[in-house]
Amino acid sequence: MTGSRLPAGGLIDRSQKVSFSWDKKTLHGYAGDTLASALMANGETVFGRSFKYHRPRGIMSAGVEESGAIVTVGRGNRRDPNVKATTQELYNGLQASGQNAWPNVRTDFGAVNNLFSRFFSAGFYYKTFMGIPPMEWGKGTGIWMQYEKLIRKAAGMGVASREPDPDTYEHGHRFCDVLVVGAGPSGLAAAVKAAQAGLDVLLVEQDFLAGGDYLNQSSPEAAAKIKSALEALESAGATVLTRTTAFGLYDNGVAGLLERVTDHVADAAAHTPRQRFLTVRARHTILATGALERTVAFGNNDLPGIMTASAAGIYANRYGVLAGQNVVIATNNDSAYAPASTLLNAGAQVTVLDARAALSESVAGMLESKGMAVKTGSTALNASGKKGISAIETAEKNNDSWRAGSSIDCDLLLVSGGWSPVVNLLSHRGVRPVWDAANLCFVAPEHNEPVQMAGAASAVWGTSDCEESGNHAAEAAIASINSHAVAGRGNVVSGGWDAPIAPLYEVMVKGRKLKSFIDPQHDVTADDVRLAHQEGFVSVEHLKRYTTLGMATDQGKMGNIIGLALMAEALGREIPEVGTTTFRPPYTPISLGALTGRGKGAHFKPLRRTPMHDWNLANGATMTEAGLWQRPWYFARQGEGITEAYIRETITTRKTVGLVDVTSLGKIAIQGPDATELINRVYSNAFAKLPIGKARYGIMLRDDGIVMDDGTTWRFSDTDYFMTTTTAHAAKVMVWLEELLQTRWSDLKVHVTSVSEQWAGSAVAGPNSRDVLKDCVEDPNTVTNDALPFMGVIETRLKNGVPCRIARISFSGEMAYEMYVGSDYAESMMDLLWRSVQSYDGCLYGTEALGAMRIEKGHVTGVELDGRVTIDDAGLGAMASDKKSYIGSALRQRPDLNRSDRPALVGIFPKDRSETFKAGSVLCAENKMEGHGEGWITAVTHSPSLGHWIGLGYITGGYQPWNGKTVTAADPVRRGNIDVEIVSPHMVDPSGDRMRG
Amino acid sequence: MADSLTTVERVSALAAHYKPTTESQSGVTLCEVRQLTLWQLAVWPDTLEAAATPALKGVGIDAIPGFCQAVSTDTVSALRIEPCKFWVYGAQLAAVDANDGAVLDLSHSRTHIRIHGPQATTILNSYLPLDLRERSFPLDSVASTAMHHVGVTLWRSRQGYELFVPRGFAVSIWELLCEASEQYGLTIT
Repeated sequence: MTGSRLPAGGLIDRSQKVSFSWDKKTLHGYAGDTLASALMANGETVFGRSFKYHRPRGIMSAGVEESGAIVTVGRGNRRDPNVKATTQELYNGLQASGQNAWPNVRTDFGAVNNLFSRFFSAGFYYKTFMGIPPMEWGKGTGIWMQYEKLIRKAAGMGVASREPDPDTYEHGHRFCDVLVVGAGPSGLAAAVKAAQAGLDVLLVEQDFLAGGDYLNQSSPEAAAKIKSALEALESAGATVLTRTTAFGLYDNGVAGLLERVTDHVADAAAHTPRQRFLTVRARHTILATGALERTVAFGNNDLPGIMTASAAGIYANRYGVLAGQNVVIATNNDSAYAPASTLLNAGAQVTVLDARAALSESVAGMLESKGMAVKTGSTALNASGKKGISAIETAEKNNDSWRAGSSIDCDLLLVSGGWSPVVNLLSHRGVRPVWDAANLCFVAPEHNEPVQMAGAASAVWGTSDCEESGNHAAEAAIASINSHAVAGRGNVVSGGWDAPIAPLYEVMVKGRKLKSFIDPQHDVTADDVRLAHQEGFVSVEHLKRYTTLGMATDQGKMGNIIGLALMAEALGREIPEVGTTTFRPPYTPISLGALTGRGKGAHFKPLRRTPMHDWNLANGATMTEAGLWQRPWYFARQGEGITEAYIRETITTRKTVGLVDVTSLGKIAIQGPDATELINRVYSNAFAKLPIGKARYGIMLRDDGIVMDDGTTWRFSDTDYFMTTTTAHAAKVMVWLEELLQTRWSDLKVHVTSVSEQWAGSAVAGPNSRDVLKDCVEDPNTVTNDALPFMGVIETRLKNGVPCRIARISFSGEMAYEMYVGSDYAESMMDLLWRSVQSYDGCLYGTEALGAMRIEKGHVTGVELDGRVTIDDAGLGAMASDKKSYIGSALRQRPDLNRSDRPALVGIFPKDRSETFKAGSVLCAENKMEGHGEGWITAVTHSPSLGHWIGLGYITGGYQPWNGKTVTAADPVRRGNIDVEIVSPHMVDPSGDRMRG
Repeated sequence: MADSLTTVERVSALAAHYKPTTESQSGVTLCEVRQLTLWQLAVWPDTLEAAATPALKGVGIDAIPGFCQAVSTDTVSALRIEPCKFWVYGAQLAAVDANDGAVLDLSHSRTHIRIHGPQATTILNSYLPLDLRERSFPLDSVASTAMHHVGVTLWRSRQGYELFVPRGFAVSIWELLCEASEQYGLTIT
């Protein structure tokens, strides 16, 4: 096949020359070309090498069903493999190359595989490496592991870039009354009708031009129809998206679209995303998705120069490219005569082999007037030629079988084996297509989806019938949306050819060994299907998996029907009895980038910043993540690393005073006459008598008696509380309270509102913390030991007039205060406090020092309250009330939760005080590393107060039974094992004198 | 609105990230509305009329907004964000009897971003799975929804879309809005 540009015609813009490169050669095409049409016009024939056998492959179609011209586009970090040249719009500077070949597609050393092709049939690798002796004695897997790399290198498609994708992608949501997929004759008609009925219509077309089959007809009438439809849509307010594929259909009228925004331009405007992944919610969907022309299995039917009949018509009419001079057409239906006539008019010699015994009168009449040679009862048997077809050996009808005929020289062989309506999207909804025996194709059955099939997608072939079918689909959609019955007339009857199509799936002659492909993308041959049948793979789903027929980017577009027909024949059944495989999204490939959208890099998750985030950074914070929150981790001074910094911060805070951002704690406003009742029911400890102006530490359990969260609750009035939660469980507690109020206790008059974002929080801790407060509040008398005792709460103002609430609460074990102001005042609070803290030689500290101080005190956090421990396990059982019912009070009495050998919270010292150990180590009885051991370590730190490493953890029975014994902290895969001692979890200031100060 | 007893200026979550554009472009206009005054009125099912009517009247609002709707005067709006919860935008609420309901200051809890221009809906729909067509989301519609994992409140006012974002997430959401808007021509006022 050597294609050439026709002197005139087509929808290309011959005034706009486009230059591009193919395998490093610079070539030219025109605006409006696809990569395939431009390459064909330049005489290129071989575009890639096949998956397994490295056979040369050329253009086989003119659309998304392409199985031959699969190429790599772009380079560097913009290299896209497996692009179908038939759908890639040509642009200036486009760079494309063939794939799966070395050194190039014309001379490929991998083609040696073709000589050994009989070894590479279906199941070859399984049989060789997994099953047959001697491999079955356990050696197969090992050998497979060795050879897999080589095999994977030889097989396969193009290679993706390994560099990060530099492009941006975005998501979008669209809403409409009617989504019309496909802008061909039926889709345009349907969209216009629905839009003119006042419905909100979204019409999507995967091609870069709207028009569908109109574009292939090369008539002024067709062009006029497209123009008037688009004008009608615009004036009716419909939206038309070209270069947009509806790749999947989901529940409740949801469709997934991929809009290719800049894939057709060399230099996209800045900030324009490359692709958009749109989620459409439509009340009704009309699938005017057309039909795909099938090929026929015969010998060497994958040679370059063999394509579908319609494709050659499209290249001539739409792109002004004649695919070959000496053309043979093998068909079993009427549709091939239109392209035959197109090519004849364009100056080619055309011979038609029609498998049917007789022609319809209309066709016969047309032929005679044009001088086209037609042989009935004849078809293609075996193609020959090296890197392209040079001759076709025919088969002649011999009663019910074929016999070899003559050889005809040709440079282009066109095949039409019938048409497969694109029912894929409806199939995504779980609707199994049914066999239409008259048109030899699968069509949509009766179904209950809000989806209408229109045009060729419902096996309606004629253009005016398709328009009518589109109108009917629109009427059905309008009726369904407006809830009235569809007006009188029935749908357009499917079909539309003068003479019926004859079944033709594979051409064979007894005794001849032919290489007949049914899925060229995966090098699946007709013999593979028969082999699968012989080996017992009789279910069509098994056949698919065993042979890879119709997998990956093909998704059953081309080979499925032939495969089914061959399987049906082998089983002695009819095609509908064999059934079809389920089509799954995506219809055509969608990039991972589009699925990701903008949620990558810094925006993978939203960052949650405290109101003093920038203040912390300006004051030298290194930040860490706590869930989505950014929190200061430590404030390193000159020359310090994290270890030096947190130890200094801990020492300084315990010695004088430290200041920390605690905004990330959850905060909940609890308001209403029954607020006290709610709080008393959710906390395990008594709250009913909490005085106004006081805070209390509280622990809430789950229904099953396990600890959910801990925090403090402050009482401002009879009806107004302020609850704090841990950073980690803020949302969980908030949702839990709402759930309780809405589902169990809807009689309680309480409102809970998250005020986590309303209040900026800081903690001032250390012996000098009260002096700092006195410096910073409006009236120093409000923060004296009497006015603000341990667990006291006040609402007052800072010296600068900013309203604040303060509670004397300690997490660090020092005398400490939590102070909250409105978030917009956070920086002013920090400025004020920091100035004062500095005057006492204090410091800023982060979560690392906070962690060190709380471990010293044995205060629990999320790592200790991990959803497995009871309040007793955590050593806080004495707090739980036995005078009231509360959430979890019944089930915490379960026998298993009261066993004396449950792991309980303990402190841990290294036996050799100079040693260190790691969180996550398993605690075992001395040198008895067995099973799950006796417990585990949850947190470790260097304790500046004690001068050595300490830890918190859980061990069977708690501190008492292990007192004085040596325990092994086993950490076999990291630190190794070390000996430790078990101590009380309250390792520093157990009496709490410092805190009460 | 600033507290009357302090001279300290409120600092917005976007303060360090806010860069007004020098030229005005036609696609999308983003604007942070600062000095937010936002108070919540929560009532009980049996006190809805008795509590909401006088409380809203106190800020000049004569009608109780329907579910997911807002009622506005020239300066103040009331948004029904839950069946028994209202947000009053632009005015402080006086305390109410605890048996009737509760008021709560949320002025610092949200960052208020206004979005308008021909592509405003497209930009919001880059993230929000919400039908914002005029007939589904007309003037004074209110929705509690989510964008990029963050729960937000959206209200269509006469000025455009009013988006209330939890303060801690404001910078992330602002950056995402700006990034998506650039392609259509972004004005930040």
